Amino acid sequence: MAMAHRVVARSKASTHRHAAVAKSCVVRPKGTGVTTRPARGLDFACRATVAGGEVKWVGNRRKLDLNRKYYPKKEDVDTQKKVWYIVDAEGKTLGRLATMVSMYLRGKHLPTFSPSMDTGGYVVVINADKVAVSGKKETDKMYYYHRVHRPGTMKTETLSELRQRVPERIVERAVKGMLPKGRLGNTLFTHLKVYAGPEHPHEAQKPVDITSLIDKKPKEADLAAVRAAVGLE
Amino acid sequence: MARVKRGSVARKRRRQVLKNTKGARSANSKLFRSAQQHNMKALRYAYVDRRNKKREARRQWIIRCNSATRLYGIGYSQFIHQLAKSQVRLNRKVLAQLALSNPEDFKNILQVVIENE
Repeated sequence: MAMAHRVVARSKASTHRHAAVAKSCVVRPKGTGVTTRPARGLDFACRATVAGGEVKWVGNRRKLDLNRKYYPKKEDVDTQKKVWYIVDAEGKTLGRLATMVSMYLRGKHLPTFSPSMDTGGYVVVINADKVAVSGKKETDKMYYYHRVHRPGTMKTETLSELRQRVPERIVERAVKGMLPKGRLGNTLFTHLKVYAGPEHPHEAQKPVDITSLIDKKPKEADLAAVRAAVGLE
Repeated sequence: MARVKRGSVARKRRRQVLKNTKGARSANSKLFRSAQQHNMKALRYAYVDRRNKKREARRQWIIRCNSATRLYGIGYSQFIHQLAKSQVRLNRKVLAQLALSNPEDFKNILQVVIENE
């Protein structure tokens, strides 16, 4: 496999691992007459699902040209192959929930992400009426509606009032604000299915539960967990 | 001075411009004067965007590295920091492509990088 840079091995203890990486990252020096293209087609995995914390690569295997920027193929955007996720909103903080949901809708949890294509999945949110907010937002957070070209038609509503009236809209509005604005963003928003109670009609799609991943910020990564995930222990 | 007819020189010049603007909308691909302006804009955008393309590509690689490493619980910022500490000189383009094409190799790199923490 042709690589742009060479891996420099440092630690003696893991020489074998560096060798494994170095072997797959061999640099072809110029002028040897060897082509910089890989000899055989490289496989690539179409999509990764995080099911119960386990990273699973699924999808078709295909050749990948390392010298071309990857653009999603049909398998990545195929609606039939999209993964369905489910989140239980009960007691979860609104913004943190919406951030994660919008990430999964957009496909930013996958390495096949492209801003111009819809590589994300479907997200079902249940118990949306029980979503929580901190501080005094329950009574103080306002939702504004205005009819354009009609002065004086602004309506306001607090979060608690909206929760009485149309509870799904709280989560929907939060997520919509975090999705890109435009044609693609509108399409992504249609992939969000929000339900007020615990019931939802998407059992047939077998949605994967990702509720536990809310607030999982790898900012200060729990390196022990990463080591386990990567298979070092 | 001898008489000079201009001949088809101007026609050739205009045809060249119209050839460039094939596929443009309405008058911009049919009429020379509109096409000329459209063409100038297009060439200017092309010049600028040849430079933007490199920035945009790097942005994409970083986003893809971020997604790939977050699957294992570590974010891009920490990952790059550990890469530098481990003296791994792979660039973002390669890492992003690896994450797509050879997830096992990407995992190996993560092992190397995490181990040297």
